[in-house]
Amino acid sequence: MAEMILQIDNLTKSYGALQATKELSFEVRTGHIHAIIGPNGAGKTTLVNQLTGNIFSDSGTIIYKHQDITRLKDYRRARLGIARSFQITHIFENLTVSENMALSIFADNGHNFRFWRNSLNSPIVKQKLPKALARVDLTERAASMASSLSHGEKRQLEVGMALTGAPDLLILDEPMAGMGPGGTVELSKLINTLKGSVTILLVEHDMDVVFSLADMITVLDYGEEIITAPPSEVRQNSQVRKAYLGEDA
Amino acid sequence: MKPPLRKMLFISLGAVLLLILPMAASLAGESYFISFFSRVLIYAIAAVSLDLLLGYAGMISLGHAAYVGIGAYVVGIFFYHSSAMEPVFSFPFVLQGSENALLVLPLAVVASAFAALVIGALCLRTRGMHFIMITLAFAQMIYYFFVSLEKYGGDDGLSLYSRSTLPGVDLGDDVQFYYFCLFLLFGFVFLAWKLVHSRFGLVIRGGSNNQRRLQALGISSYRYQLACFVIAGAGAGLAGGLLANHTEYVSPGLMHWTLSGELMVMVLLGGLGTLFGPVLGAAVFLLLEEILAMHTEHWMVYMGPFLVIVVIFAKRGLYGLITGEGNSNG
Amino acid sequence: MILVIEQLLNGLQLGITLFLMSAGLTLIFGIMQVINLAHGSFYMIGAYVCATVAGQTGSFLLGLAVALPASAIAGMVVEFVVLRRLYKREHLDQVLATFGLIMFFNELTRIIWGRQPLYLDVPSWLSGSIELLPGLIYPVYRLAVIGVGIAVAFLLWFMFSRTRLGMQIRAGASNRDMIGALGVNIKLLYTMVFGLGTMLAGLAGVMAGPILAVESGMGESILILTFVVIVIGGIGSIRGAVVGALLVGLVDTLGRAFLPTLFRLVFNTATADAAAASISSMAIYILMAAVLVWKPKGLFPAHS
Repeated sequence: MAEMILQIDNLTKSYGALQATKELSFEVRTGHIHAIIGPNGAGKTTLVNQLTGNIFSDSGTIIYKHQDITRLKDYRRARLGIARSFQITHIFENLTVSENMALSIFADNGHNFRFWRNSLNSPIVKQKLPKALARVDLTERAASMASSLSHGEKRQLEVGMALTGAPDLLILDEPMAGMGPGGTVELSKLINTLKGSVTILLVEHDMDVVFSLADMITVLDYGEEIITAPPSEVRQNSQVRKAYLGEDA
Repeated sequence: MKPPLRKMLFISLGAVLLLILPMAASLAGESYFISFFSRVLIYAIAAVSLDLLLGYAGMISLGHAAYVGIGAYVVGIFFYHSSAMEPVFSFPFVLQGSENALLVLPLAVVASAFAALVIGALCLRTRGMHFIMITLAFAQMIYYFFVSLEKYGGDDGLSLYSRSTLPGVDLGDDVQFYYFCLFLLFGFVFLAWKLVHSRFGLVIRGGSNNQRRLQALGISSYRYQLACFVIAGAGAGLAGGLLANHTEYVSPGLMHWTLSGELMVMVLLGGLGTLFGPVLGAAVFLLLEEILAMHTEHWMVYMGPFLVIVVIFAKRGLYGLITGEGNSNG
Repeated sequence: MILVIEQLLNGLQLGITLFLMSAGLTLIFGIMQVINLAHGSFYMIGAYVCATVAGQTGSFLLGLAVALPASAIAGMVVEFVVLRRLYKREHLDQVLATFGLIMFFNELTRIIWGRQPLYLDVPSWLSGSIELLPGLIYPVYRLAVIGVGIAVAFLLWFMFSRTRLGMQIRAGASNRDMIGALGVNIKLLYTMVFGLGTMLAGLAGVMAGPILAVESGMGESILILTFVVIVIGGIGSIRGAVVGALLVGLVDTLGRAFLPTLFRLVFNTATADAAAASISSMAIYILMAAVLVWKPKGLFPAHS
């Protein structure tokens, strides 16, 4: 019996007269790559923010690992194992790749007031850094300044930092945004390798990526869920085509 | 030659030069140099402490000279009371004046650190342009405060009639004083270096680039920035205490904002975010000042545009140029 | 009571000077997001030019008429040559470069005019005092300063809210790229705003000239006060500049005037005077600290 790591029930969020999220319900299975797609303005980012706790829903519930987290603050959800990468890369440009990763490792392991010990020689970093770098294929770039990385590599670092806390649910908010085809391929491969070790909620515009990676797809339009189904079904669904292409294509 | 190797070579060379300087100067008959370089060493300590803020934490403090001044005045005030043979204060407990370096120098450090704590706590509630202006404003406040202290000379300042005493060492002897300052400079740079490479340093440097990410990681940048501000203030206080000894005179002019500006120039010239660069920067700046002043009393009219040009076109500083390395922040 | 009103007027007059300085500076901060430490230099340029011209011709008005464009033009030249390259740079670079400018201007004035302060006389048609209220004799010149300040404040308000230029400036403040796309020459706009700001500084310098001495470095002491005003009032906000300037002017003046008396009620004379001297010189900074604790962005920040 497969576990549902995330269950969203009748989630609603309005901004004045605008209903950004309209009685949204769907489930995410543990270990899946679950994509969320929809035309612009469909409410994808609002949904993500409600899941991470950056904004609170008006009504409805979010159940994560059998726990109701609807009203939990963002850092608490983070501690429960929900990690997120940002649409706009949020790394420390003035630090090396290793330093970026090390900071993330430290942050996930308590406080930081250590004046003396060389940060990169710290036992916990020595233990966790190699794996963290390898996981996102950045071992070779460990000593490079983050600012010198390509866009794709920066994304990899971003994802890598989200993973240092060993999350159970990783939310990727438009990871392919602004990427060229080469970078997209690399990042897709990376996401694929993560499959199984962490459940991934993938919010994306790039249809090729979505259809090649996702186990399940939820399609949103105007804040509502049109369908949640495997890619093959979604591709043929007439409502989806209408939402994206206008009148029946 | 690869940067790390070049860097090590350069630093070692610099250290050796500094070590042999007094002997070389005596041999060449230019003993004045020893006293001049003591001053360089002292300013270097202040510049390195400022580099922690400017080059690593990304905090532009325009009032750093205030902490130098406070350190200097602690030494000055304790000297005054010691020679006048009256206590510094009698309530809540009696605190006698002193000329003992082992007492007044640490006190100078603590006093400056404390001032940095109070002021930093206020200033760090703001950021960006506000922060810059507020650090300057508070430094000016301290300046006016000391000007108003008639008892300690006000605007005219206070003379010390001798240097502090240190068991086993005669600080009045220029050579011994030089090595004392050098010892403290080495110590402070070492501490700063350790700090910058530690976890604390990592948080500080990350915070100077991307505070929001730091918050997202659950780290409160305020505490770290404040700690950094205090440490920098402490370093400045040490420099101030040494300066009071060197010139045997303290005045509010030490905390005038122009001195803050000069410290910034030293850091810039030497190289932001390098720790060793500011030492070089202090030497170059003070040497330039001496040389230019000999040619024209209006040397500042050249220094000003020179600074503008350096900022606009050549930001890596001399250290970067020599060692082929940029600053810590890319 | 008379004394209080007199000091209130003095505080108002100081506030006006500060307002002129801070209006210019806060505009530049708010719109161009650039830190200009050399703003005080234009205050100084205004004072020096007026003093020189008035000294030669004997006419204060002529001095004023020359000083104002001089400050504006000097400002625009500086903007064109130096500041323009700094807009996209970090704050640190702006601080250092403008610090270099201060060094340059201060030394330049010493070269041209020497180290002795210049004296700018109150124009004869504004000299003397009048009786405002029974027993209250107040210098006409200071009243004139207050009057001019209020007029300028009104003009600025009018310009910003009612004219097209003002609208362009305000729009440029909130959205730089957009205004460029709308066909406004943003570079020219910035140069003009800068020139306006420095002209206001020059005006402040001219008006302060008869009251304080005209000397090298005079710009910096007023600049720091200006910073305090802006911190208290909020960056980018003219209203903040007005309120902040008045607050600072009043607190500083009243503090210096009345703290000794107040303290003498509690302490003996020697202690009271010493304490009052210290505290009154620190008063505005204490005020600034208090405002910061309550509102870190100032009383009327223009926008986030």
